[in-house]
Amino acid sequence: MSIGTESATAPNEIERAAFETIVEPESVDEIAALVRKCEANHITLAPVGAARTLAQVRRTPVQIGISLRRMARIVAYEPDDMTVVTEPGISVGDLNATLAKSGQRLPVDPRDPDATAIGSLIAAAEAGPLRLSEGTVRDLLIGIQFVGHGGRVIRAGGRVVKNVAGYDLMKVMTGSFGTLGIVTEATFKVRPIPENYTLAVASFDDHDSAFTAASSLHDRIPLIHLEITSPRISATLGTPDRVLVLAGFAGIPSELKHQRELIAKILPAMHVLDDDRAMQLYRSLRDLDFTDGISARMAVLPNDLARCVRESSAEFIAHIGSGIAELFSTDSDPRIVTRWRSIAHTARGHLRVLSAPASIRSQIDFFDRPNAGAFKLMQRLKTTFDPRNVFNPGCFVGGL
Amino acid sequence: MTIDANLAQELRAIAGADAIVSRASELKVYECDGWTIEKSAPELLVMPHSTDEMSAVLRALHRRGIAFVPRGAGTGLSGGALPLAPVMICTSKMNRILSIDLTNRRVEVQSGVVNLHVTNAVKSNSYFYPPDPSSQMACTIGGNIAENSGGPHTLKYGVTTNHVLGIELVLTDGEVVALGGSVDDRCGYDLVGAVVGSEGTCGIVTAATLRLMREPEGHRTILATFANVEDATAAVSKIIASGMIPGAIEMMDRLILKAVEAAFHVGFSPDAGAVLIVEIDGLEVGLDERAAAAIDLMKACGVTEAKLARDEAERALLWKARKRAFGAVGRLAPNYATQDGVVPRTRLPDILRVINAVSERSGLAIGNVFHAGDGNIHPIVLYDEREPDQVRRAIEAGREILTACVEMGGSLTGEHGIGVEKMGEMPLLFAPDDLIAMTELRRVFDPDERSNPRKVIPTPGACVEVAAPRRQVPL
Repeated sequence: MSIGTESATAPNEIERAAFETIVEPESVDEIAALVRKCEANHITLAPVGAARTLAQVRRTPVQIGISLRRMARIVAYEPDDMTVVTEPGISVGDLNATLAKSGQRLPVDPRDPDATAIGSLIAAAEAGPLRLSEGTVRDLLIGIQFVGHGGRVIRAGGRVVKNVAGYDLMKVMTGSFGTLGIVTEATFKVRPIPENYTLAVASFDDHDSAFTAASSLHDRIPLIHLEITSPRISATLGTPDRVLVLAGFAGIPSELKHQRELIAKILPAMHVLDDDRAMQLYRSLRDLDFTDGISARMAVLPNDLARCVRESSAEFIAHIGSGIAELFSTDSDPRIVTRWRSIAHTARGHLRVLSAPASIRSQIDFFDRPNAGAFKLMQRLKTTFDPRNVFNPGCFVGGL
Repeated sequence: MTIDANLAQELRAIAGADAIVSRASELKVYECDGWTIEKSAPELLVMPHSTDEMSAVLRALHRRGIAFVPRGAGTGLSGGALPLAPVMICTSKMNRILSIDLTNRRVEVQSGVVNLHVTNAVKSNSYFYPPDPSSQMACTIGGNIAENSGGPHTLKYGVTTNHVLGIELVLTDGEVVALGGSVDDRCGYDLVGAVVGSEGTCGIVTAATLRLMREPEGHRTILATFANVEDATAAVSKIIASGMIPGAIEMMDRLILKAVEAAFHVGFSPDAGAVLIVEIDGLEVGLDERAAAAIDLMKACGVTEAKLARDEAERALLWKARKRAFGAVGRLAPNYATQDGVVPRTRLPDILRVINAVSERSGLAIGNVFHAGDGNIHPIVLYDEREPDQVRRAIEAGREILTACVEMGGSLTGEHGIGVEKMGEMPLLFAPDDLIAMTELRRVFDPDERSNPRKVIPTPGACVEVAAPRRQVPL
């Protein structure tokens, strides 16, 4: 195990806020030993991905950031079983490059997959446009190994696609931001890459007609993904600054033709991109980073998304059908977060702040607060799985 | 008797006289679920009508430190609803669909609602609730949540946990908590994911918000006949490897076909060594081509006949034959025991060889009907319970097959659950630390282990000694 930052590049602002020291373990045993040492000495630790993701939330950095870049092997991949077992340090992009050779992929598309390690993907339950057709990490993660309190190495699930033996610790770890332990291995279901990915794009002058059209598309066609972007976001995608509907679809030629005709009825002025041009625009959409100011992810009832997004007055990427939208504002007024959050609450939803200017961070809650009953159980879960409170403490929901 | 007259009286005051069963002759009905090897009638049965009543009932038990066993329809196959506690709480009177919201593709139901009733309520609008266990005409959503139930169509559409957004859970102290919600992302830890599949050990789920799906535009259901199971499993691998994800791929072998044909007259060839039911669904316009492609792939694997269901009636008959195959087996032997194991798809030929060898060694016939696309096998061991030695051999056969599944990288159960049936085998799959962590998770919800005690995780002294083969299947 190497300790110190000598092997890494100089830490940037985010990293300085995230962790004090980096260690780069090479094995589960090393992580287990490290966890025991940290617990004995009340030293806080977190995988660097989880620490970075919450860098803006925390008042003080975790003392040890665990870089998993030396644990980046694909442990087992059997294309005919459509499962892959991997260590946490490999990036989603690298994993998918291997799977693509067999026409498959892990169909989760966080922003910048080449910079998103599998461990971070699980910790933050990241998801992108593909969630509409493929689900999210929680639907695909079928087995897990992690180091928990006392340095215990714990496994749950397995390597088969259908399995109900034992409690589902995969769900508990997904989206837990490194607060319950360090994920050391993950098994996923993978899926075939759909044939002939095609992207239909249409622009609208007004917000409401774009949402009406998109909702109608979602009703009629099993799309791969379906987004609406606000004018300024559309402009950063290299399209005119109008409200943009982007509908991804795929299939064999007869299905493509049929879907194209259906879409054309709803989006008469659409452009259809295929092959590289479709992939290029899809990647720009997926990787969009618009973080000057406040950005947040809102989850609401799908049918209320149009209203919620409109009332927010934010620039946005809306994921139709999923009821999810990323909201952006260049202002740095903390009241924006309060307002967005209360809008989400009108549609049984919640809002998570993704980033905010340093000047207002202490004035906002990054996570929404679960109801009191659920939160009490979450507190119990945290104290049960992390009795010494060393795993990425103090910055998850309600300060867990 | 661990419960006093005072308790019965209090529960009667909470839920009404119609909600209480205390006569021994009536309680006998509840002595087991679909796993009939062990029987133990509860001392008292309560059927609350509402969440408030459920909460009050659990508070009353909590004050006395009395454990309980939750029950939906009792169709579980691993003894999950076997009463190992004095009080049984049944959700059968909480069977209302609370709201249907098609624009958001959500439905909110009480936990006693029957699985099939959910789809029936929305199918005229072309929506469906995907998990479709063979018992779907009877089993409840609450039971499905406990067991994380699957079914043939989960190959493409996922199991229960993929479709439950929120639950209302009554904890053992009577507190009612709302977990998850109506939206797609979780706020905080995914406690819904922890409860789904916990086999009733985290409290009682009283309501759930489920996600519906749009029905595919069309189906093509192919009945493919093979000379033997090896060819059929090779065809399954070919189809999956081609990148095609059918709605379902089901397999039945010669023994099962004989029984099913006698029961339902589907028209299976008497020479068939195995058949696959392959269902392709999606956009109507592409279905013929996709079905033809699947048939071509099967031809390369020696299919002797492949025909499409001509209409909805033929499709329905095929599915009826498949879903009731277990029951049809009753024609072949006085008794039979069904196993539920999983192997990686590519190991299907290997596990079938093992099953064959086990059959020869034990001298017992074993039939196979299973979800081939998922690698989820259901070998059915035929025996005669009047012959003690056959009983012993049948138990041994089940164990050998399960052990082989685990050795091939598979699992002890794909959809039936651990219950009491497979507690003893859990150490084959998990190390002590894994089981401790799972117990810790359970205790987050139920610190005193009073909700469905002595299930899932083996504890010293609580291991169930299996004295007879795994189970009889009622349907």
